[in-house]
Amino acid sequence: MKKIPFKLSLALTAVSLTLAACSPNEKQDDKVTINKNPFPSTYKVLPQQNTLFTNATVLNGIGERMDNADVLIIDGRIKQVGVDLTATNVEVIDAQGKWITPGIIDVHSHLGVYPSPSVESHSDGNEMTSPNTSEVWAEHSVWPQDPGFEAAREGGITTLQILPGSANLFGGRGVTLRNVPGHTMQAMKFADAPYGLKMACGENPKRVYGSRKQMPSTRMGNVAGYRAAWAEATEYKRAWAKYNSDYDAGKNPEAPKRNLELDTLMGVLDGEILVHNHCYKAEEMAVMVDIAKEFNYDSGTFHHAVEAYKIADELAANGNCVAMWPDWWGFKMEAYDMVDENVAIVDAVKNSCAIVHSDSETTIQRLNQEAGKVLYRAIDNGFNLKEEDAIKWITANAAKSLGINDKTGSLEVGKNADVVLWNTNPFSVYARAEQVFVDGAKVYDRFDEKYQAKSDFLLGQE
Amino acid sequence: MNNIQVKKRTFTLSSLVTASLTVLALTSTVVNAKITAITNATVHTVASQGILEQATVIIDEGVITQVYENENTPENIAADEVIDAKGRILTPGFIGTMNSLGLVEVGAVSRTRDGRDEKADITFDASLAFNPKSTLIPYTRKGGITSNISAPVGGEGLFAGQTFAVDLSGDFSSIIEKQNAVIIYLGSESKGSRAQKLQALDYKFADAKKALAKQKNQTAKEKKEAKEPSRDELVVNALLAGEKPLLAYADRATDLLALLTLKKKYGIDLVLVGASDAVLVAKEIAAADVPVILSSIDNLPSSFDSLHVSLANMGILAKAGVKIILAPKGESHNINQLRFDAGIAVANGLPKADAIASLTANVADVFKLNSGRIEVGKNADLVLWSGDPLELSTKVDFMWINGKPVSTQSRQDALRDRYTEKGNMPKAYYQ
Repeated sequence: MKKIPFKLSLALTAVSLTLAACSPNEKQDDKVTINKNPFPSTYKVLPQQNTLFTNATVLNGIGERMDNADVLIIDGRIKQVGVDLTATNVEVIDAQGKWITPGIIDVHSHLGVYPSPSVESHSDGNEMTSPNTSEVWAEHSVWPQDPGFEAAREGGITTLQILPGSANLFGGRGVTLRNVPGHTMQAMKFADAPYGLKMACGENPKRVYGSRKQMPSTRMGNVAGYRAAWAEATEYKRAWAKYNSDYDAGKNPEAPKRNLELDTLMGVLDGEILVHNHCYKAEEMAVMVDIAKEFNYDSGTFHHAVEAYKIADELAANGNCVAMWPDWWGFKMEAYDMVDENVAIVDAVKNSCAIVHSDSETTIQRLNQEAGKVLYRAIDNGFNLKEEDAIKWITANAAKSLGINDKTGSLEVGKNADVVLWNTNPFSVYARAEQVFVDGAKVYDRFDEKYQAKSDFLLGQE
Repeated sequence: MNNIQVKKRTFTLSSLVTASLTVLALTSTVVNAKITAITNATVHTVASQGILEQATVIIDEGVITQVYENENTPENIAADEVIDAKGRILTPGFIGTMNSLGLVEVGAVSRTRDGRDEKADITFDASLAFNPKSTLIPYTRKGGITSNISAPVGGEGLFAGQTFAVDLSGDFSSIIEKQNAVIIYLGSESKGSRAQKLQALDYKFADAKKALAKQKNQTAKEKKEAKEPSRDELVVNALLAGEKPLLAYADRATDLLALLTLKKKYGIDLVLVGASDAVLVAKEIAAADVPVILSSIDNLPSSFDSLHVSLANMGILAKAGVKIILAPKGESHNINQLRFDAGIAVANGLPKADAIASLTANVADVFKLNSGRIEVGKNADLVLWSGDPLELSTKVDFMWINGKPVSTQSRQDALRDRYTEKGNMPKAYYQ
């Protein structure tokens, strides 16, 4: 997939209203612009320490394994990875017998929007009132006190995308968070990460709305719904383009009426918002790829994609990332054709982007082992894969899907120092994260209570 | 693939290595062998013998007839076939518990769901709906699971029906025992109070006990004229007599203690299921000798009834002397991962022997199955592993159910093979 810049510099002041269309010679009203970042990140790096890990088995996230290697973190960045590194004024951590990987990234989580405890009062992940709710943003539902964030951090998760649910054709915007404790959503928000747009194929939308005797009640109804929305968004984008060009030509045009739903879709057409499409079946993914071509946007990442193995070549050729469970199946018809090697088959194609995701407050805590299940079942069945390959599925490829691979997802020099120190091979069932770093700051230590955060909710419960 | 040759032979120990068979992939073809010897195995007996190195297990007519420790292995063993384990680990087949295996094919397809019925109550026998040809069964075997306690989820009544035991052979004769335990769901209610059901359960037992006492004192004439007890009443009486366990789903510590009180009052064979708060009352549960069926991975407070869940809970309960059974919550399509859940419990403090017992001997004890241990007289439900049974990189190399080799090939393998096959024709032609 092509890298999509997200320029915050474009985000300007609030919308001002223009009331009259005017001739070119009239004085221009203030230009109307859309503030693309009204809820900016306030994330602050936790106290950093410059650190040298020594003698570890290092999986760098982009396919390489280094034994007895050292990793040097300076000022929150990966400074160097190699053998026999030296540095002064750093904390040295003896990682003999331990493994180091990039921080783990989950592209599909509902932490905070479907938190624990799962009481009705906190069930905020799915605006099931209309098949197109592109105007809702998951970040406005995030409860930062969800104890699931802590549990995920203990499993090495340093970055995660929180998505709306899949009841709607367009579920709304997803948000990428740093997995650091914060008591506001903004304090966790990954600065400069593009927004996601959650779309959903198949059974969920047609069941939810079909049962209410409204469209969509069929898969063809689903597709009509996507296309109608993209057609409208195309007009909206054109209207804004015309407004901008007229204004820039010195005219005083009337700005298009602001529409929050279409703002989001226009963001996709402009390449600023990335599509994350819940879609299980091969034939439906193939249709979604064509819709994106029809309306000239990037079909993005397919999520769940239980049947991706049936069209692995096509997905790689089209540049899609594919985020999958290792083995969930059978809970509905569209999840019936699961194979244990789905991720491995997608990964085996050149230019592919295979990802293991969780969509679960439980397995997000062990995304390493979720990937491990794929790795070893695939090896059992003749795939040529190693640990250094499997780590990509939960680091570099996930970062690419979220549009943050220039910042995190690998241990390449200059990247954010998001690092996990494991007690053993992270794909072992006995693996546990011992220390977790975000931007070079320790956010978790299994053996030091000082670095074990606890949600407000669990405080004082007996 | 390899069909095992059936030749009645006597092997001498020295010839065993050369007689070893490649056992990596089996078809499900029924093998007629009568006596099988598994030699040179690291045998986790889950019984008094503990772990035996270089041991030999003899299977005859579907039952384990000998377990020889290395030094006691006779020079000559009469066997129709010999499997050289080459030091690999042999365990009893694992046993799934409290899931809907064979009752649900596709969760969201209502006509494939037979675990629930509005009218299902204490007598509900879901084994009548069990489908041994479900695609879940071969997939489940991949996890070394040879038998299962399948459970309905009931209906509107106080009780949720009864569990049944099956083997995972896939044969029409899979059912081991019907109606072997009664299920009840207790705890928080979305409408109403948790107290109501606890009270109803207490009254149910109290009334039945009173009726039984009255019956005892009846004259012959009164007995003759008395109404026959209803089917429901007979099941309650069986619970009071301790003839079958009561499997009680409950989480909050107050509910668990209330159940322990009922056990004491009526002498029922109580088993706690879920039991999120069990660590708060572990001493009491151990003292009452009540087994607990629980998940090892549900460590988030999903409700106000489960504020004390933790990955360490299985280890804590085992240490307190509670008999534990590992069962993931409400899951059936992926129960082949039981062994990984057990591994996670081990990584969080549960001794490995206890983890394996929680999938074998402990289940057998609670549900009175003749399996779950490798000892003479037990069903030959056995699994030979490529490595540590709980490790992700390990797979099943060979397994037997009732002494017969069974395959781990499933529909998933057929789909994978079809879509990784190279060729010019549409995939539908590859099978």
